[in-house]
Parts: sequence; C-alpha cells; structure tokens
Amino acid sequence: MLSPPPVAAREKTGTTAEPLTEPLLALQGVTKRFGSLVALSDASLDIMPGEVHCILGENGAGKSTLCNLIFGVHVPDQGTMRFRGERYQPSGPSDALASGIAMVHQHFSLVHDMTVVDNVILGLQRGFVNTRSWAQRLDRLARDYGFALDPYAKIEDLSVGERQRVEIVKCLIREPRLFVLDEPTAVLLPDEIAALLAVCRRVADNGCAVVLVTHKLAEIKKAADRVTVLRGGQVVARSDHPAQEIDALVRAMIQGDVKSLDKSAASVLGVVEAGAAAAATTPPESPATEAVQIDGLTVIDSQGVTRLDNFTLSIGPGEIVGVAGVEGNGQSELAAVLSGMTAPSRGRIFLGDIETTQLSPKQLTAAGVGVVPEDRHAVGCIVEMSVAENMFLNRLEDFTSQGFLRHRALVAAARELMTRFDVRAAGPEVAFSALSGGNQQKAVLAREITLPKLLFLLAAQPTRGLDVGAVAAVYNHIRAACRRGAAVLLISSELDELIAVADRIVVLYRGRIMGNCAANPSERERIGAMMAGQAA
Amino acid sequence: MTDVATHKPRSWRVMPAPSVVISIAAVLAAGLLGVVLIFAMGVSVSDALAAFIQGTVGTPYAIAASINRSIAFALVGIGFVIANRANLVNVGGEGQIAVGGIAATAVALYGHVEGLPAGLAFLIPLLAATVAGMLWGSIAAALKIKAGTNEVISTLLLSFIAVWLLYWCVQSPVLLRKPMTSSATLPESLEIPDATKLPLLTGDYSFPVHIGLPATVVIAIVAAIVLAKTVFGLRLRAVGFNPIAASRAGISYSRMVLLSLAAAGALGGLAGGFMLLGEQYVLKDGFSSGYGFDGLVAGLLARGSIVGVIAAALLFGFLRSGGINMEMVAAVPTALVMVIQGLIVVTLAGAAYFIGRRP
Repeated sequence: MLSPPPVAAREKTGTTAEPLTEPLLALQGVTKRFGSLVALSDASLDIMPGEVHCILGENGAGKSTLCNLIFGVHVPDQGTMRFRGERYQPSGPSDALASGIAMVHQHFSLVHDMTVVDNVILGLQRGFVNTRSWAQRLDRLARDYGFALDPYAKIEDLSVGERQRVEIVKCLIREPRLFVLDEPTAVLLPDEIAALLAVCRRVADNGCAVVLVTHKLAEIKKAADRVTVLRGGQVVARSDHPAQEIDALVRAMIQGDVKSLDKSAASVLGVVEAGAAAAATTPPESPATEAVQIDGLTVIDSQGVTRLDNFTLSIGPGEIVGVAGVEGNGQSELAAVLSGMTAPSRGRIFLGDIETTQLSPKQLTAAGVGVVPEDRHAVGCIVEMSVAENMFLNRLEDFTSQGFLRHRALVAAARELMTRFDVRAAGPEVAFSALSGGNQQKAVLAREITLPKLLFLLAAQPTRGLDVGAVAAVYNHIRAACRRGAAVLLISSELDELIAVADRIVVLYRGRIMGNCAANPSERERIGAMMAGQAA
Repeated sequence: MTDVATHKPRSWRVMPAPSVVISIAAVLAAGLLGVVLIFAMGVSVSDALAAFIQGTVGTPYAIAASINRSIAFALVGIGFVIANRANLVNVGGEGQIAVGGIAATAVALYGHVEGLPAGLAFLIPLLAATVAGMLWGSIAAALKIKAGTNEVISTLLLSFIAVWLLYWCVQSPVLLRKPMTSSATLPESLEIPDATKLPLLTGDYSFPVHIGLPATVVIAIVAAIVLAKTVFGLRLRAVGFNPIAASRAGISYSRMVLLSLAAAGALGGLAGGFMLLGEQYVLKDGFSSGYGFDGLVAGLLARGSIVGVIAAALLFGFLRSGGINMEMVAAVPTALVMVIQGLIVVTLAGAAYFIGRRP
C-alpha cells in the first residue's frame, strides 16, 4: 500500500470496464467432453482487459474445465478461442504462458525445501542464475502490490496464505495479460481473502484481466466487475452489475430460490449474513453430563514438533462444538487422535466414563464414535469398491455367516440406507468412484451416523468440495445426530459454517486453543484474530 | 494427490473378457517369434518342433512331468494372487520352495515318520514344508509391519538366504548331506524313505503324476471362493486398495499383511514339499531353481484370476518340459523357451497397459 502501482492506474469506475475495448479473450461456443460427460457445453465468454471477471458455479459446473481450456491443459472439442484478436490454440500450459496467460491453481506447486526466489526462478530461467537480482525484482513486485514477501524464506516455513502469494508472484513476474485464479480463497483467513481481492483489483487496474473462479458470493460482491455463472457445463447467466444482482446469480447457480435454501448453507455461500442462520439453531440447554471429555491431548510428531498442545475440551450430549483455525494448525492431528488412527503423546480421552484414549478404530466404532474424515478419498472410503461395501465397511461382521459375506443382505441394507440419506447412484453395487463428491460424502456420513449407539460424531471438513444441496443435507444429518443426543465435534476451516452450525467455537492456532467463544456472528472478528494467532 | 492415486488404472486386478483373447494372441505371437528364432539359428524347425512336442505331450511320462512342474507354478502363483489382493508383491516363491523342500526332507529322513499309518508318513513332511514356507513368508510380513520394509525387497532377499541355506544343508554332513563314504559322495541328501514318497495317481511310474494334482485343484477352488465370497477376501481387497481407509473402518492392516504373506509363503513351501516328496526324493542344491520365479510370472499374468493362474501354470509347465527336450534332442538352447516366456510377459503387460488406458 506504500507505493502506487507501476503503470498509471485508471480510476476504477465501480461497475464495468470500458465497453469499447475489444475483448482480451473470447470463447465462442466452446464444448469439452470427457467420455460421455459433457463438462462444458457451447460456452461463450468475453474477458475484457482491466476487469475482474468472476466465474461462479457449484462443484462440477465446469469452472475448472474452463480454466484448464484457457490454460491449455485440455483442448476444446468444439468452438474457438481468440486471444487479443487472434486465434488461440494452446497445446499446453507452456503455450498459454508464452501467450501471456498465467494461472494460480487450487493446489500449489511449490518445492517445499527451496526458497521463495528459487521457486520463482524455477521454470523461468535456464543456465546461470543471478539469485540476488531476482530477489530484488521479487521484492519490488511484492511492494508494488502492497504485500510483504521474504524472497529468501523457505516455502515450508510459510503459511498457506504466504504460499499462495508465492504462486501469485510466480505468475505476476511474467507480466501476464490474463491472470486466472482457480478457487483461490478456499484456504485463506478472512484478512488474507481481503488482501488477495485487493491484489486482484490492482492487477486489473494495471490493465491485465483477472479471471477469478469462486463459489462464494461475498467475494463477488467485493471484487467482481462482471460475473459469468456456469451450471452443468453451460453458461446460464451473465451480469455486468453483480453487486446488485446477487439473488439472481444464486438462483442461476443453484437453479432454485434463495429462500428455499437451508439457512446455514446460504450463510456459508455468503447469500445471507451468518447471523440469520445462527438464530435458526436452537441453543442447547447446558448439558448435565459430559459426553466427551478431552484432557490435555498433546501430539508430538516424529521430528519432535508439537502439533497439538494440551488440547482440553468437553462436549455435552447434543452439543455441537466447532473447531476453527487455518488448516495445518493441529486439526488433522486432533482428528487422527480422536479417530484412533494415531496415539497421542500425552493426554486422555473419555467417552462418558470410559477412557477411549488407546482404543483402535474398530473399538472406537463399537464404543459409538462416528468419524467423517477430513480427506474423504484417503481415509473415508475406498473408491475402487462398491457403494454397498463402503457403506458397511466398518460393520462387515453384521453381514457375515461362517466367514462368508451375505452379499444380498449387504446390498439390501445399503439400498435402504441410500434411500434414507438420499445417496444418488445407479445402485448399491456400482463403484464408489462413480458417485459425485456430495453423494460420496452423504454415504460416508450415513455409515458413521447410523452406528448402533452413536455417542460422539467427529466431522472434519464435512462439506469441503460439496455443492449447496449436499451441504444442506450434511448439516441436517449432523443436526439430527445431535438431536438424538450425540456430541459433535465439527472441524472446519470455513468460519461461516462453524458460526452457522456449531453451538460454540474453539480456535486452534499452532496446535493450541487460542480461545473459546460463542458461535455468534458478532464474534467473527475476534475469531478471525485468534485464527491469526492473536490472543483473545 | 488423491486424484492421482484414484485415477491410476488398476488393470492388473480385473480380468475383462477381451484379455482372454489377448492372452491367447500373445502366446501365439510369442510362439511364432520363437519359431522364427529357431529358424534364424539354422536349426531345422520341424526337428525342433518335433522335439518340443515330444517333450510336452509325446509320452505319458512327459505329460506327467509337465503337470508336476505346473503344480509348483500354480501353487506359487495362487499365493502371489492372494498376497496381491492386499496389494503386496511376493517375489519370494523361490526361497519359500527351498525352505519347504528342506523341511520336507528333514522330517521325511529324520522325523521318524515312515512307520506312521494312514498317509501320515508323507502328510507330516508336507505339513512341515507348508509351515516352513509360512514362517518364511511371515518374516517378510513382520518386517513390513514392524519396520515398513518393502515386501518386494524382503521376500527377494529372503530367497537368497533360503537358497544358500539349501546349499549349506546339502554341503554339511552335520545337516542333511548324506554320510560321506568317499570323496566322490555328492553334496545331496539321502533318498527319502519310500513310505514318505507321495502316492502316484495311477500308481505307475510311466505316468508319475502325484497326489499334488488333486490337492492343488482343491486349493485353487478354495482360494477362489475365499477371495471372491468371504469377508476375509473383501477385507484383503479393502486393505489392498486403501490401507488407511481400511484401518479407519476397523480392518487391521497388520493382520491382513501377515495372513496374506503367510498364506503365500505356505503355498510356496507346499510346492517345495510336493517337488521333493513327489518327484525328486533327494534334496539337491538348486532344486528350486527357477520354479519360484516362473510361479511368480504365472501369478502376475493371471491378473488376479485363479483360473488364469492355472492356465498360465500349465502353459509354463509344458513350455519348460518341451524346452528341455528341445535342447537335448534338437540342440536348441532352453534359453529360447525363457525368451518366449519373456515375450509372452512383455506382450501381455503391453496389452494390459493399452486395455487399461481405453476409456
């Protein structure tokens, strides 16, 4: 913020970019198929220089496909792309980069034990390298855009937000004409999101076009000049005045009415203020006995780093406690210990009066602990196996006689559970990988919630990557479990989700509980500060 | 990262119908190339083929020898498939056969079993062979569970240990070497007592197929049922696809690793027992040479199908017998048969790659 942008910045008009200029990038009737799936169908799109153009859509709407076409990862089956008035047919990301198109992917591609400047130089230069001059360029660039970045810091020492800045700098140092960011805010703190949007604005003001892919409406309100909405691979709406037309955009995105949306889901999307949703959840009576008591849980990893430090928490029956925090601050370790996957270095866990600290996953399941793991594909399910097998993976004994699997009983039970939890699939015997993310998560949830006596439900990032309908269903099932008396621990990096669903929130920072507060929208700023490590 | 893992083609696990056609085509193509090579060597192709056929199906004895060979391949191959369900690669068939043979010989010679009734005279040595192989496989499992040692490395290196253990056993008079009567006494064991030799199916030495054949058929059927129909088979599969998710669901990874590698080892040991008690009767250095690896290839080619293992084991068994005869009669080196076998593997692996890639 200290120095002005290098190129004379145009005054931002607040609504549209200059309508007279020719589009920087123009997509005409672009279609992309993967096998029988039409990922993008007859999509047309103009990106103007100097604008922040948001692509809005749910998961599976075709946003990432669109990005990958622009960046040359995929080749369109039909339609044409024109860049700066000329036919644009990239045969790979290197073509895109050479044409002046840069992209920040959802998943970072950084070499962890190298420095920031080395990571930036990678792929930019061959032969001899003058690290110092690059570092100076980097420093200048960062200051021009109003953020700090130590060129000699190692990536592994940086926070997620800082790592993303490295990715952004990697792109900006190429001085691109078109800058694409695919879901860049999913991993960021509220403050960092604001800073990122400011950077996007500055980049656009320098005359570069910014394509921002998102499913969060709050970001559109703040940053977008224009919006294109995708649904089912088709462009279903465009808006030149997105801030005024949010409701219409949501309707287009989810093909339904905002009012019919689950309140919590709506607040996570940013359609309504979180307060409205929080009011919808009934505050619990103060619990008489503790269902779950976690006492001084500490995890020290093999390198001697303390990942979780003296975590103490009690949860009453029917209570939902949220764990807030930026990812990588001990949430994964907490979930791993509570689900019996790793043993804690210190501390004890009680379920009612029974100590469960040393129990195996199998014993925990028997004791009534349901776990919706953070990483669905790595821990929650086995995608190569059938839906039915996955839904009863932890209870195969119930479908066994003399060692043989009672296949028909298993399939019948799975079919019943699929109906109850609205898991949509061609049948119980199709491969789990054939299900959409939302249906996969519903299936995992069904398995864990229907444990014979569920006392404790641990849900880690249960709505990550799900579309709005599935998000609402997940919340409803979690609430139902809680109404039946289960204690729920909800770990999420989405603050809005926690405020909407949880009764109270604890904030994790570097493995320690920074503070404890009510799940109330008025606490938002305080929670944000604690997530960033400031003591309450 | 998960994406990469989940989208990797798992073509080694399934046996789609076209692959049967491709397998046969690969075998024919490799055979044809073998004929071309024989021609290029300047050997009369018809002589070589005649010798080959003579060696495989020319006499009842040749057929029986081929079948006996196939039995060992099949057992090792079935063990490979079982371990492979848990995504483990057992390349230790060679060593498991060796320890099985050692144990069978030791018990048959010095276990005082020859007087026992009801076939116990040979059943106990067979059991000893099975247990020895099982323990050998379990060592690899324990190393994997306790120290994370890759089973490819541990089973392979355990094979070297077993092969040299065999050498030691037949070289040292303290162990299994027959009493030294002169400097010409060969480094081998005594011949096992007649009572401990496996009964032949026909009772006739001109067609010496032993009871290992029906036993192997039963084992194959049981293995196929266990893998396809039982909860154990399902759990093995779960562990093989995703050990973390499986253990979260309460399936013990360690238990599955131990059971599957022990089973693979036991079948290898049993194969060694059959070879020793059914055909060779005398423990010699290098008696297991090549059997473990041919069995491994049979398991690998079968791509998870027990029926496929049997087919591949029979193919290799007959190929080897024919090759040996071809060398003796038509002066075509046996190495040619190994070249053909290698060609089959490469062709099938290549075909599997292309099948796996097809959307």
